[in-house]
Amino acid sequence: MPSFSNGRSQEVAMLVPAMLCLVLIIVVPFALSVGFSFTDQRLMPRPIPTRFIGVTNYERMFADRLFWQAIGNTVLFTVLVVPFQLAISLTVAMALNAAIPFRGLFRTVAILPLLLPITVVVAIWAVLYRIPTGPLNAVYQLFAGSENYIDFIGGSDTAMVALVVLSAWATFPYQMLIYLAGLQDVPGDLYEAAELDGATAWQRFRFVTWPSLRNVNIFLLIITTIQALKLFTQVSVMTRGGPNGSTTTIIYYLFQQGFTSQKIGYASAISVFFFVAVTTIAVLQRVFLKNEGEA
Amino acid sequence: MTLNRLAGASLLALALAVPAHAGELTAWVTDAAAEKPYFDQLTDAFSAAHPEIALNVVPVPGYVDAIQAASVSGSLPDLILLDGPNMAASAWAGTIQPIGELIDPALLADTMQGVIAQGTYGPDGKLYHISPYDSTVLLWGNRSYLEKAGVRIPTGIDDAWTREEFAAAVEALSKVDGVRWPLDMKLNYGGEWMTYGFAPFIQSAGADLINRETWTAEGTVNAPEAVSAISKLQDWYKAGWIVPASAGDNQFYGEKTAALSWVGNWMWPPHDAGLGDDLVMMPAPSFGPNGVTTPNGGWGWSVPATTTNLEDVSAFLNFVMSDAEVAKYADITGFAPSRAAAVPLTKKFSTPGAQDLFAVQGNCCAVVRPVHPAYPAITLSWSRAMLNIFSDGAADVQQELDGVAQYIDLDIEDNAGYPPFGSN
Repeated sequence: MPSFSNGRSQEVAMLVPAMLCLVLIIVVPFALSVGFSFTDQRLMPRPIPTRFIGVTNYERMFADRLFWQAIGNTVLFTVLVVPFQLAISLTVAMALNAAIPFRGLFRTVAILPLLLPITVVVAIWAVLYRIPTGPLNAVYQLFAGSENYIDFIGGSDTAMVALVVLSAWATFPYQMLIYLAGLQDVPGDLYEAAELDGATAWQRFRFVTWPSLRNVNIFLLIITTIQALKLFTQVSVMTRGGPNGSTTTIIYYLFQQGFTSQKIGYASAISVFFFVAVTTIAVLQRVFLKNEGEA
Repeated sequence: MTLNRLAGASLLALALAVPAHAGELTAWVTDAAAEKPYFDQLTDAFSAAHPEIALNVVPVPGYVDAIQAASVSGSLPDLILLDGPNMAASAWAGTIQPIGELIDPALLADTMQGVIAQGTYGPDGKLYHISPYDSTVLLWGNRSYLEKAGVRIPTGIDDAWTREEFAAAVEALSKVDGVRWPLDMKLNYGGEWMTYGFAPFIQSAGADLINRETWTAEGTVNAPEAVSAISKLQDWYKAGWIVPASAGDNQFYGEKTAALSWVGNWMWPPHDAGLGDDLVMMPAPSFGPNGVTTPNGGWGWSVPATTTNLEDVSAFLNFVMSDAEVAKYADITGFAPSRAAAVPLTKKFSTPGAQDLFAVQGNCCAVVRPVHPAYPAITLSWSRAMLNIFSDGAADVQQELDGVAQYIDLDIEDNAGYPPFGSN
């Protein structure tokens, strides 16, 4: 007789709400996307019927120079931002884990970027990057001793780097918090033992801290990679994909195709490709980086 | 992110949708800063004239998304504001209805031709969109820089700068002390501005965004005249003579590091405040055989196909297009009145002066943006190409414009030629 005392059915009953939500907001829309990607569906209603067009959208996508440029840009952003952002997060976490004065205050301040809406962060950095007389250019001019300036956002070599720095600053506290939690889990006696053995600060980091953070690192690597691959808002607000397409990411391109250009069918094909690519990357990371204690 | 926006807009649309009753009108408007003071007073002004109709003017944040979502869900209000060049796409889709018969013919009789052209849908020749204002683009100058450079200041359409004179002026201005960039072309705007503000150069030169007879882009948007006109501007960009996008909005009127500004009438108030007596208004340049060519148009009123209380709508349209209201709109927003009878009633446009240029250009030289359902694709691909061409890395003009032609023609093909367009 099924009852609440029956562990199995209780588990199922408790899973149902979450599963229902997952199906409704993830599985169903994704299935719709797959369906749309084989049609010429438009965003707005139109007086001609939507047709099934087979793999035309996919053929166009793979032949589309701008699509490949967007992939290249997204990969470049990810490769640049992930190590950079994790390095900042870990450094700040270690500083805030040490016995420094006003530690509580500094911990609070370090989280502030996370509390700002990303559009506000972009507005702040747009001022910093301004030409010809923004704060960063003022510093540059001071050292260069000239009136020349660097067009951080407008330079095709610098725009991506500008986005990397701003994005890392905007979201590093999240990774930092998780590192901080990870650092607090490292047993103190390991450090004591290392010190007794005469380990230097670098050796304590290399042989105690770093290996102890293995699980944290794997988690953050996957999370940060996915986050980076989804880059959109900063591009949309700050560079609009320019200059000359050098910061157009996959999601920004998808947005342009689906909403500005209203080609839902084509945008769905891009989104299906993106989903498969991100899932593959996440699974590969999981397969090659085993957690501590896993076979 | 985008799905959230659309979902949010849909919810908003549902929340705002009010079932239509006789004696009740709901109008959605944008929440843009320049127009807000006008819309804020519209309800009271209309109620005073028509106490029998309860008007509800709703400023909608994220306007374009909200309209799209409401179109899809069929919950549009009685009246909407629509950006002129997007009218054809809505008329083709059947989401808006003709309004010509709802408006007093006397009011339409003295409405600027460009505004009527923008609102008239080709296949049935009917009016779907009407705007109380018209817009244009001028060449604004800083008098003291122009005098230092020894540049001739044109006063009217007839003596507007030619392409060569414009080029010589930009070069001369680049050497004046205090000028970092001779020309601001508002690259910081992006979006629709890139079509509105840059298409006139190729139209003056003899090309266009699309062939308006055959509705194909290949051979028109990438014609040699178009490539040559845009290449000329790109040369200036490469020489460092055009304000880059990242320098922000105020290099002409604030920092005064730019000597000329190519921008619309809406910048008149800040230009006036920033430069005072130093401000000169010059006509758009003649960039080729078609002479002075300017853009026009803008947001206006349309009536969704679902709207049924047409008598009230008619009262509303006649009210907002009346002499007094058109004049009020112009005075509040700085846009030129779209009806001749309203001009003497305005404070800003009634005295003879440089602002006459707004009206003169609108009447002589305006080329309406293509009234075709493919306009969203046209403007997307063209503005993207412009941003690529006028940016570091300076994309190849021919290659970019070829891409625009290909993109537009593919969009038209994907929509089976947008019937009944293309069937002629």
